[in-house]
Amino acid sequence: MAHPSQLGFQDAASPVMEELLHFHDHTLMIVFLISTLVLYIIVAMVVTKLTDKLILDSQEIEIIWTLLPAIILILIALPSLRILYLMDEINDPHLTIKAMGHQWYWSYEYTDYEDLGFDSYMIPTQDLTPGQFRLLETDHRMVIPVESPVRILVSADDVLHSWAVPCLGIKMDAVPGRLNQTAFITSRPGVFYGQCSEICGANHSFMPIVVEAVRLEHFENWSSMMLEDT
Amino acid sequence: MSLQKPIMRGLLAKRLRFHLPIAFGIAITVALSYKFGVTEPRKKAYANFYKQYDAVKEFNAMREAGVFESVRPSGK
Repeated sequence: MAHPSQLGFQDAASPVMEELLHFHDHTLMIVFLISTLVLYIIVAMVVTKLTDKLILDSQEIEIIWTLLPAIILILIALPSLRILYLMDEINDPHLTIKAMGHQWYWSYEYTDYEDLGFDSYMIPTQDLTPGQFRLLETDHRMVIPVESPVRILVSADDVLHSWAVPCLGIKMDAVPGRLNQTAFITSRPGVFYGQCSEICGANHSFMPIVVEAVRLEHFENWSSMMLEDT
Repeated sequence: MSLQKPIMRGLLAKRLRFHLPIAFGIAITVALSYKFGVTEPRKKAYANFYKQYDAVKEFNAMREAGVFESVRPSGK
């Protein structure tokens, strides 16, 4: 989850998010390079006493300031496309979960083997126990097996929502009448938080997402227990 | 006594010859500082973290701390 005064991304919990972090570092480095150069040139232009009203063109500089940005854009585009195709690779998921957005909660359906479904409402602030996070905790978490490829099918029941978990590098719009697919694999066990990322009404800020990645045998015990309860 | 002829030409070129190398130098220095100060340490940090990462040990530690809701601590 995010921490106070955080500027950068949350720590990555999936390989795709690690790649995105490194790509962001690479692109931000280029941004700093260009911004520093432009700032220096602006200051130099502002303080100069040289003026020439008769300069009309200069082929040399036009070539330089066309080629250089083109090269920089290629240096950004190549890693970007690599990650784009990496995210789309067929990864043979072990599990498929449907995440449905409602006003104002998420519901999860695990229908690969049995019919398991449950709603996930935010825990109101007054009901939190010590150690829980305000506006982030839910009564039922989406539990998945760690280090297993998982496919998520995201849709919505009413209005637009968006299923987002920053540390897994996932954001997928929940559109009524449409199934959007994304897949991920968690690199380590833990609890990962996200929030609805598409304005959906009064309680848009109060329908968080909690993903709990546990070892496979515990995931199986949990799903059996949930099936017995329902 | 004669005055030295003032320089009337090539003023912009002289200014550019002075400032452009400094501008590119500073910009490249900033970029390299970010690369070796932030990017490479971050890559190494992630590599080192997973090199010594024991998922079972960490999972058990989190379980005993009561982090998970699907798995209770082993005593309970």
